[in-house]
Amino acid sequence: MTTEKTISLEINGRFFQAREGMTILDVAKREGIPIPTLCYHEALESVGNCRLCMVEITHPDWKGWKGLVTSCLYPVEEGLQVTTDNKTIWNTRRTILDLLLARCPDSDVIQKLAAEYGVTVTSYRKNDVETKCILCGLCVRVCAAKGANAISSAGRGIEKMIARPFDQPPPDCIGCASCAHICPTGAIEYEDTPEVRKIWGHSFKMVKCESCGRPIMPEKQLEFEAEKSGLDPAYFKTCSVCSQRKSIDTIRSAFDMKAVGLGEPVEVAR
Amino acid sequence: MQKTLTITPSRCTSCRTCELACSFKHAGKGGLGIARIRTFMFGEGKNQILTCFQCDEAACVKVCPVEALSRNESTGAIEVNEARCIGCGLCSIACPFGHMNHDGTNGIAVKCDLCGGDEPACAAFCPSRALEYR
Ligand code: FES
Repeated sequence: MTTEKTISLEINGRFFQAREGMTILDVAKREGIPIPTLCYHEALESVGNCRLCMVEITHPDWKGWKGLVTSCLYPVEEGLQVTTDNKTIWNTRRTILDLLLARCPDSDVIQKLAAEYGVTVTSYRKNDVETKCILCGLCVRVCAAKGANAISSAGRGIEKMIARPFDQPPPDCIGCASCAHICPTGAIEYEDTPEVRKIWGHSFKMVKCESCGRPIMPEKQLEFEAEKSGLDPAYFKTCSVCSQRKSIDTIRSAFDMKAVGLGEPVEVAR
Repeated sequence: MQKTLTITPSRCTSCRTCELACSFKHAGKGGLGIARIRTFMFGEGKNQILTCFQCDEAACVKVCPVEALSRNESTGAIEVNEARCIGCGLCSIACPFGHMNHDGTNGIAVKCDLCGGDEPACAAFCPSRALEYR
């Protein structure tokens, strides 16, 4: 077993222990110290896109030098001194939100966050293109985590966007809608009917619960999930409500047939 | 030895105290919809209690794309890391017993974690000893 190195650092004047490789944000989250984030998700790789998680760091050996870093990316260091909130940080976050509000004036999430920093109307020129996308890239990363890798970011600077290859319905999209669910601003739209799910220009046929007929997931996703998990496709063909009903029916019929001795404990967990 | 949550359905009166205890323990409120355990009333001696089996080869663990579900080796329970969960709902579809649920407000997976090794609240509060942890 490898022994992990423990690191001590200071956040807002309090001392904390951390494991080597943790980021400042990891420690702050563990300790309940609030740092705003828009592009961070614990299960996905951090990329530092939104810049909202900025904190100020310094070190006794740095001869008074201090600077702003993204806490979601910055690894903890022995003796590091972190400040999560002061005038400089506040102003930086305010500027970021002011810019985001210029980009997405209609996003209620951004409006609310910006208002917390005193920005109700952006001081920049409003975006002519209507969008709620803040380019945080969570959708791209969750798609990669699912293993589909259907979408990516394209272009640079003001032309950067989340895109489908050649602006066509992405061939690798399985229609799981994880991108839409994870999007912090609700920028990715999809439409579900009992028959189809429409997303990214696709129209996926839905698999329906074998018992109640409720749509479960797109056929293409079912194939994908069965193959990826190695489970029989049958696992994905019953909705959870019907699965539960089946469990009860199985136990009940066992009782009726006295297959399970009444009064004997039935072990359900290790 | 690892303790086991045992269910003796014939003792269950379907009073739903376990559901209430579970909701309070995990969500701090009494909504039965978020309980990780369910009772079903079929009449005396026939009532049923369902909760997670903590399967050895768990379908939920196999399908989770972000490793948000993992076994706590000390209790044997499969636990949800709520911060990792992306709310895709695949675990609840894959569970062949329908024991996996989701928080209606944020889609995060909700399941029995055997209360992390303390006596599970359901067993502690069960007035008829239909649920025991031993
Ligand atoms: S959360 Fe760190 S840059 Fe977005």
